[in-house]
Amino acid sequence: MSTPQNSNRPPRREFFRTSALAAGGALAATSAGMAQHSGHGMPDDGERRHELPKPVGDPSAGRPAGAQDEYEGFHRFAPSRGNSPDSDFYLGKLVPGLRDPAAGRAPFVAPDVPSLPYEIKDGVKEFHLHATPVEADFLPGYKMNVYGYNGSLPGPTIEVTQGDRVRVIVTNDLPEETFMHWHGFECGIQYDGAASLVQNPIKPGESFRYEFTFHEEGTFFYHSHVAMQEAFGMVGWFIVHPRSDWDPPVDRDFGLIFQNFFIEPTQTVADSWRMDWNWHTINGRSAPYISPLVVKHGERVRIRILNFSPMQHHPIHLHGHTFWVTGHEGARTPKSAWIPRNTELIAVAQAAELEFIANNPGDWMMHCHMVHHMMNHMTKQVGPRVRPGQSVDAYLKDLDRVPEAALRNTDPGFAVPGYPQDMQGMNMGMMMSDAIVGRRETLGMRKGWPMALMGLMLAVRVLPEDLYHLVMETDEHVEPGSVFEEIVRRFGDPSDYTPAIRMSHG
Amino acid sequence: MPRFLHVAKLALFATAAGAAAQEQLAPPAALRPSAPGKSFTAPPAIPPAPGEELKIDVPQEGDAVGPVYALDELLTLAAQNNPTLRQAQLHISADLAKAQQAGLYPNPVFTYQAEQIGVDSETDTDTPGEFHGGVLEQRFVTAGKLRLSREKYLRRAHVSEHLATAQQFRVCNDVRLHFYRALAAGETLAVRRELLKSAEDAAVTSQEAYNMGQARRPEVRRANITLQRARLDLLSAENAQRESFRALTSLVGVTLAEGRVKGSLTPEREPASFDAELGRLLANSPEVAAARAKLAVDRMTVQRERVEWTPDIVARGGAGYNFESGETVAVAGVALEVPIYDRNQGTIRQAQADYARQQQEVRRIEFQLQNRLATAYQQYLTALQHAHEYERVILPESKAAYAELLESYKRDRVDWSDVLMAQHDYFDAKLTQVENLLEARTHEVLIAGYLLHDGLMAAEDATPPGHIDATPRPR
Repeated sequence: MSTPQNSNRPPRREFFRTSALAAGGALAATSAGMAQHSGHGMPDDGERRHELPKPVGDPSAGRPAGAQDEYEGFHRFAPSRGNSPDSDFYLGKLVPGLRDPAAGRAPFVAPDVPSLPYEIKDGVKEFHLHATPVEADFLPGYKMNVYGYNGSLPGPTIEVTQGDRVRVIVTNDLPEETFMHWHGFECGIQYDGAASLVQNPIKPGESFRYEFTFHEEGTFFYHSHVAMQEAFGMVGWFIVHPRSDWDPPVDRDFGLIFQNFFIEPTQTVADSWRMDWNWHTINGRSAPYISPLVVKHGERVRIRILNFSPMQHHPIHLHGHTFWVTGHEGARTPKSAWIPRNTELIAVAQAAELEFIANNPGDWMMHCHMVHHMMNHMTKQVGPRVRPGQSVDAYLKDLDRVPEAALRNTDPGFAVPGYPQDMQGMNMGMMMSDAIVGRRETLGMRKGWPMALMGLMLAVRVLPEDLYHLVMETDEHVEPGSVFEEIVRRFGDPSDYTPAIRMSHG
Repeated sequence: MPRFLHVAKLALFATAAGAAAQEQLAPPAALRPSAPGKSFTAPPAIPPAPGEELKIDVPQEGDAVGPVYALDELLTLAAQNNPTLRQAQLHISADLAKAQQAGLYPNPVFTYQAEQIGVDSETDTDTPGEFHGGVLEQRFVTAGKLRLSREKYLRRAHVSEHLATAQQFRVCNDVRLHFYRALAAGETLAVRRELLKSAEDAAVTSQEAYNMGQARRPEVRRANITLQRARLDLLSAENAQRESFRALTSLVGVTLAEGRVKGSLTPEREPASFDAELGRLLANSPEVAAARAKLAVDRMTVQRERVEWTPDIVARGGAGYNFESGETVAVAGVALEVPIYDRNQGTIRQAQADYARQQQEVRRIEFQLQNRLATAYQQYLTALQHAHEYERVILPESKAAYAELLESYKRDRVDWSDVLMAQHDYFDAKLTQVENLLEARTHEVLIAGYLLHDGLMAAEDATPPGHIDATPRPR
């Protein structure tokens, strides 16, 4: 069962967090959020400066006291690899997390996805899942019509422990038949949910009881076993924690579900028949609306990634760190078979578990490296957007008068074959909305950061302890860019740093 | 025979047949790079607009907008100046003159008469004659022939009056038709200008897409061709606008400074059922009225011919001197034709046949009007339905589709080519709507104006070809 990401958060902060969730992820207008929002536009030329803003946080409290730094040449608090690839600590392979193992395992957190509660009935953990239509906010102001469970896309996370007796009552609130498959479980045949091969369909309005005792542990998921319903979003985590925590213990255990949808412009209903994709979501949101993963400098982090796209694989790349692939959807991998990578190719219906020591502070990009997944709905860069001094607004102003188009695009870039490759024309209003830049997890990020994250992209924020506290555990005002620049001040070369400038966009 | 030889033989025959065929025009070769696709070559350039050598018929004032004419103003001018209206009035005058002439009483005839010149008298030989004197002769017309003749021609003047009314409708309707044509030509020209900008945008877009590797050379050429066709369409629309204005001024009957017209293409008349329109047409059509008036003329002609054989009385009387007897004497006499053989039977039958033929002519005109109305009404109704639904659904939907695609482009959701396609579709729908409205207006004018048009056709005479005009003198 997952617990809030910050269990020691003060009640008022907790109120804001839950309010934000209830409002579909949009943070209530906290002072911090509003400050971030109101100051997040690019500085004007007059604003441009080369000196950093005044320091924030307390550098002396940037690390937990007594934490071991060095392991056979590998450093917990500095980018490093170690003395030998054969070492157990090479690239932080078996370097434990900072948490006290006696405090139990780190909570599993799937950002922006609710957890499914259960009741104990006759010693059985009983969960209730409803297959439902969902109106999912892929981005602020973009409510998309898909299917999911209990009103959520992806469905709520089920967490149990190895050996648990579990009952899941699946009720079909859809207007069509469905089946439920428990992906990866070695369960009894009648509860596998593999459509009519093993059971009758769950008709609209009806329920089906599935009951298991789990002998396995690991990263699993549940999904409809009607193909187009799968493409329409029907999936959710099913995490089975081991009886005793995996070694080495981690401080963070995140879960990310990657999905693709095709939704036509001026449409909200996903077209599951399509074989190409123009909307990409992680945990039901598309960048820059995907919540950053915020961790403390030096922590051991596990990220579980499930690719539940209908057709396409995802090579997931993490910047600034090298991770170990410690398991897949089948099971935890023996340590001898762990592989160090910075890009892991995850195929459709596969999951991967990645673990690394967050020894490199900063806001690091993590993304699918397929270029067509690095933005939503790619369009050809022609038309008024790429013409100097032109805007589509002139066309919209009077639909009965076509603006004059010069017979030659005067942008000198067109002298270069292939120009332009850079995508123009972002919706700045949406990018800078409070729902994007006002969220706690984003406070202090570099100005204009939403312009960099699109599609299957998110930020992994590695923050020194004091800055983590400032961002995640206080209500102090955080100036946009201040946390990022503080990291530059402490870990980079401030003399060579240029602050964010106004970006051009069509 | 080996197969390749057989094929070669066939090819030879084909070549010979081709040489015998008419030679085709060979256009000048377009510029083509030697090896496109092996190294970067610039896209086919956007062609220049048609040159000055093709701008033959341009207003001398240049682009200056001339005077603006309203429909009422043009109708007033046409009423005053169209020559066919004057012709129609002169037909009435001519028929009235014929009626006057036909009713005039015959003049008396004075004769100086000398008889028996050289006859001997008792006292003289070789006298001037037995009678020297003046004789006056007068024909007395019987049976009301003159009244009937005058009545006949007065009724023929009535026919001319109906034909003059028809001519007024022809002229006014034609002015209206050409006014709406000119109005539609102006609106078409405005839309064509927008479509040209759309084609220019598409040509620039294809150049941009070529640079991004998203268009091939033939596609760029196709965009260039489309652009040039849009330019030609604009030239055609300009020519059509000038032609429509010039045709309009020819109906007005005076030379007008070139300009444009102002008004609305939207039909104004409340549409009625076919039966209602047919009833109105047959009841009020000037053509039917003229045919019925002509029937009255023919009825009168029969009456006139029936009295033709009634003999007129010719009375003679005079006084003179008888040189033989040496005294003053008088002469007197009465003459009349004795209608034993010729009682005008043939002409009466001819007039009766004319009357019966005219009865059928009335029916023929009514059915011909019904026939013409059927076509006009169908075209009117179809155009009205199209115009209504284009206004209510198709244009708003096209416009909304265009706006939505623009918004989607703004949000980076669609390619510009999709927007341009919707833009073209919207303006193309506007072009069709201009045609719909013109068609509706045209047939509205025709139906309201009793299907009469062609305001430069010479005004019709009341006398149909081959009609009885038995003598040079009207009777």
